[in-house]
Amino acid sequence: MLAGVRVLDLSDETAWLAGKILAETGADVVKVERPGGDPGRTGPYLGGVDDPERSLRWLALNTSKRGVSLDWRTAKGGALLRRLAESADVLIESAAPGTLDELGVGWETLHQENPRLVFCSVTPFGRTGPRAGWRAHDLVVVAMGGNASMTGDADRPPVRCTMPTATLHAGPEAAAGIGMALWARETTGRGQLVDVSLHEIQLSTLVTGPGQHAHSPRDRKRSGAVMGRTREIWRAKDGWISYGLRGGPARVANLVATVELMHESGMAPEWLRSYDWSGYNHNTLSSEEIARFEAAFGAFFATKTRRDLYEQALDRRIMLAPCNDAREISEQPQLRSRELFTTVEYPELGTAFEHPDFFAKNTGPRIGIRSRAPRIGEHNAEVYGELGVGGADLEALAAEGVI
Amino acid sequence: MGVFDGIKVLELGAGAAGPVATRYFADHGATVVRIESSRRPDFLRILFLTPDNPFGVNGSPMFVLMNPNKKSVAIDMSKPEGVEVARRLIDWADVVSENFSPKAMAKWGLDYESLRKRKPDLLMVSSCLFGQTGPQRMYPGFGGQGSALSGFNQMAGWPDREAVGPHATITDSLSPRYVAFLIAAALLHRRRTGEGQYIDVSQIETGVYSLSEMMVRFAATGELMERRGNRDERGVPHGVYPCRGDDRWIAIAIFSDPEWRLLRRAMGNPAFSEDPRFNSADGRRAHEDELDEQLGRWTRERDPHELAEAFQAAGIEAGPVQNYDDLLADPQLAHRGHFETLHHPHLGEMQFENYAIRLSDASPRLEAPGPDLGEHTDEVLCDLLGFDRSEVQRLVEEEVLV
Repeated sequence: MLAGVRVLDLSDETAWLAGKILAETGADVVKVERPGGDPGRTGPYLGGVDDPERSLRWLALNTSKRGVSLDWRTAKGGALLRRLAESADVLIESAAPGTLDELGVGWETLHQENPRLVFCSVTPFGRTGPRAGWRAHDLVVVAMGGNASMTGDADRPPVRCTMPTATLHAGPEAAAGIGMALWARETTGRGQLVDVSLHEIQLSTLVTGPGQHAHSPRDRKRSGAVMGRTREIWRAKDGWISYGLRGGPARVANLVATVELMHESGMAPEWLRSYDWSGYNHNTLSSEEIARFEAAFGAFFATKTRRDLYEQALDRRIMLAPCNDAREISEQPQLRSRELFTTVEYPELGTAFEHPDFFAKNTGPRIGIRSRAPRIGEHNAEVYGELGVGGADLEALAAEGVI
Repeated sequence: MGVFDGIKVLELGAGAAGPVATRYFADHGATVVRIESSRRPDFLRILFLTPDNPFGVNGSPMFVLMNPNKKSVAIDMSKPEGVEVARRLIDWADVVSENFSPKAMAKWGLDYESLRKRKPDLLMVSSCLFGQTGPQRMYPGFGGQGSALSGFNQMAGWPDREAVGPHATITDSLSPRYVAFLIAAALLHRRRTGEGQYIDVSQIETGVYSLSEMMVRFAATGELMERRGNRDERGVPHGVYPCRGDDRWIAIAIFSDPEWRLLRRAMGNPAFSEDPRFNSADGRRAHEDELDEQLGRWTRERDPHELAEAFQAAGIEAGPVQNYDDLLADPQLAHRGHFETLHHPHLGEMQFENYAIRLSDASPRLEAPGPDLGEHTDEVLCDLLGFDRSEVQRLVEEEVLV
């Protein structure tokens, strides 16, 4: 879809995903990393060998990009970056606000030299403002953005998701901002600055919670696996499942079907089998009644694996879902039938493994993973060659540590 | 001037995932029209249908806050004449975005294959939970499913307790970002080639793709990631520590020995911090429980906002855990104009939120709160589609436009 769009990706892992999304929808994305490799090429490493070419984080989030090495902090490196930016449509960066300006390769300079350039900054709090200089990766923006205060058990500190989520919201948010700026350029002919804040992104995970609170203030606190009055996450034999005792006419059939399933395993107590569901409303149950329901359903779920329960749920239209880990996700028939995964070859590393492919199914131009992540400086000759810099010049730049 | 001035978006669907996506366009100049019906209102309109809410389907704060800048047309889609009006709206639209389960659009004959015959350059996005194909596509959806199936739920919580999942349904905030991007990219493609297209997005798959690192680590090494409270494989100390007050906390993240020394100095070198076991990351990792305990004892009597200010001034990654009251008073969010007050005819003054993107040449515009159901039926049908007022009147009386 984005064929012909040229992107320079200077970002660190904060915005790697943004460049990946653009690359997998057709843009030519050149990942620019410093000689020796992007600092984000950290472990865990493939095979446990401490080598930036084996960083699994890098390999996962930089597919479909070309890669060049460039130290844009040096004068010659900065000059080369400016030449690359002259023919680029988009630049993505995630340095602390002001860093690139000080090096003479910031928004103002590059915009002047290439007025069509869309310049996207992804920073912890945005490029300006009282907290623009504050440092943060994941935990601090999740804490300051409101999600942590609502996540976790009431008797313990607020928590975040162990796999960082701030950057995975930031990737598509930045991509959307870039898409907007590219669309605007179609009529204005001018690129613009796209300023994306990791912190501000977090607020949308609250799905209007702050505005609801401003309108009708009440104590809003995290409550573990319980949502409202009833449990949302339950223990299965091999992990956790999501299931609600919430009632209402649309959901009662699913509760009845669950009791029937329990009965077939000999695990539906007599009182539950003869329970009168007409008029069931979880909001009007007493705490004792809720505890009684939870004990019965919980005892049953604990004897079954996530997969057993899910297969039964699919058959019987019970509203239950496994809290999948990576193995369960990779084995889901639904995802398999849609060919979500694609095998990427790593001949240099003597291996191949599956990645989630770009997920959308479209009738337009092919989208999806195009190639493995680049090795350090892999496309130097190709990309710098396109600028007319080759042969001896490249060797000299390499000798000086610029590329 | 708005980025999407002149762009016409038609929205069918309910809940968050679809409606959140079209706001990227509504806030930047596009005309976004929702098809809804009082016969089967958006469930977010009835979430707050309690006796103390006299405004019924028009009194849901969540719906109103989620759908500003949009126009609402009431159509009973179970009536053939209603579907015909919807077709006229599709003719009008540049983009159709829908997030029903796969059977709805097909039942009305409004699936992409049928529509493209009428409108070859149609740009249409569907974004239900499971996607349009596959054995589970018709399975009934519910809130927790996306978060559970795509892997997020089991990664939040304490290792010695049950998984709790990150607050709210993460796929409802994650998938709309992708849908908005894809619509913008498809508009660009259509402008260059004249070709429309159909895009089938599964909310669950947006989650799995975003978790590429987790999936690749499993595929390459068999690693299964588990919830670890606030601990981090690269940072130590890395946690949320108690502060003065009721349920007040500070997040602190230290990623190197120099950062640890900055923290030690910023605390005034308390005795525990001088323990040589804490000098190296390996040492801090080996004694992390003790370190967290000691650090928490030190933070306990301090104010989280003041402490974060002091730590950040010293170059340390730290921040208060903010509740909703804190967010509404946050100076950085105020600087970015995150919250804006709009007056809602029934609910009064409300704090609406802007998204996280700021463009240098085009500010987002919050102009009207989420609409009453059918508020714009006359306006849209007469002014945008050219219906006669009498025709609209008849369709209302015959309970088609309800």
